[in-house]
Amino acid sequence: MSKQVGIVGVPPLEIICQLNEEQAQIIDLDEPLLPLPIDQTDRYLPKVYCAILRTVLLNALNLHLDQIYVDTGPGKCDCALHVATVLQYHLNIPVIAVRNLDTKDLGYPISRSSLPLINKIQDITQGVKSCQPSPAYPPCQPSAGFWGVPPRDFSILSLFPDTTHVYGWTRCVENKTPADLELEAHCNPAVPTVFFAQSFCAKTALAKHLAEQHPKALWVDCDVSAGSSAKAKIEAFLELSGVTSGRSDRAPS
Amino acid sequence: MLLADFGTSYCKLLDTEKSTEPKIIAAREIPRDFRVDIGTGHNAKRRSRQTLNELTALAKGGLQLIAEPDFVLLDCGSRDIKFIHFKDGEMKDMGWNTECGASMGFTIELLATYYHIDYAQVPLPESGFSVTCGVLGLSCIFDAVAAGSSELEAAGKFVRGIARNAWRFAGSPDKLYLSGGLCDNPLFTACFPCELISLGRFVLLEGLLSSVDSKAMP
Repeated sequence: MSKQVGIVGVPPLEIICQLNEEQAQIIDLDEPLLPLPIDQTDRYLPKVYCAILRTVLLNALNLHLDQIYVDTGPGKCDCALHVATVLQYHLNIPVIAVRNLDTKDLGYPISRSSLPLINKIQDITQGVKSCQPSPAYPPCQPSAGFWGVPPRDFSILSLFPDTTHVYGWTRCVENKTPADLELEAHCNPAVPTVFFAQSFCAKTALAKHLAEQHPKALWVDCDVSAGSSAKAKIEAFLELSGVTSGRSDRAPS
Repeated sequence: MLLADFGTSYCKLLDTEKSTEPKIIAAREIPRDFRVDIGTGHNAKRRSRQTLNELTALAKGGLQLIAEPDFVLLDCGSRDIKFIHFKDGEMKDMGWNTECGASMGFTIELLATYYHIDYAQVPLPESGFSVTCGVLGLSCIFDAVAAGSSELEAAGKFVRGIARNAWRFAGSPDKLYLSGGLCDNPLFTACFPCELISLGRFVLLEGLLSSVDSKAMP
């Protein structure tokens, strides 16, 4: 039976390659994997805390894993560093803190493709389990931008057109350089862009800052799930910016 | 064509073929199976064949009613507050607060019913409570009454706090257009520290109407 290895953030490519060679099953603990209430983590983490890292804890406590790699470097966040400490205390498996400082660009064709935005983000997050670059999709002409981290609640992504380009940390993840702050700060001023961060994440500061510099921007944060307010803001922003989304039950605007 | 702004407490309804005057119906009195052609508002999805986003409806209504390239339009409803800011005829900023602005309009109405308050008779308070949420703000009223304030005085400070909070939420503009049921509340409108122009309760309906006019239905 293959080894079950949890990852938090994006561990260095060298580790992913090694796990691929060992044919280990890599499990991305950042994603909601279990139908369990997130409140189960209240014993271990404050309620007012990044929902992604609360999800990490929920997964780690309830999955049968052999070991966990946590990126605790600038490619993730300080909160992950402290969550690694919590995991090390409560779990009886190796929880290995690593620092991903990879600088070799492997490209970001998915981010610039015409795939539906949900598929883009799903493919990019799946890609963290592989040391291979993304498939070579042709770039499309962007009509909108999504800047930020993969949201915990993917439902907001359905509001965007397929011609949305992905920026921010998600693009860095596809490029296998999650600590590339220059690439993370890059965005396209020519297209209306939603700057997204998880509530209580340090990246909210960068999201808000970049949104203020951008000529057509909306900055949004969401916690565990995206409320109707956040979705309506994104929907209205895109509509009023002249961007057409895919919903079919809307009146013409 | 039947258009409706399905607010939390009241539905604003316009039948474009029968009348040019919208009707107002209490939300609790709408039959369960009532449906319209195009709706907006909290309860629109389950009652409308097509829906228009509330912020979009607000923006479109504002563009119809306000003949200026730069404006800030704030809608204060029963449950939430939202604003749209246009500059040079283009959307510059927007906001929708369902959490910290929660239930402000509804609470103002509840207070009037419970304490038998006519807001036209409440003196304009010189100061107000720091209120960011209608429900939490009730505690300020109870505390003030317990400390010896009259119910009228406490309610006045509550309304002033809500108005100031809504104004700050909209970006503290010098001039503000107001939409929603609270346009009819003279105390609320008097508490804004800026030039205020009330557009009434049918701005979102106006936005729906302009959507129908601007394009053929699919």
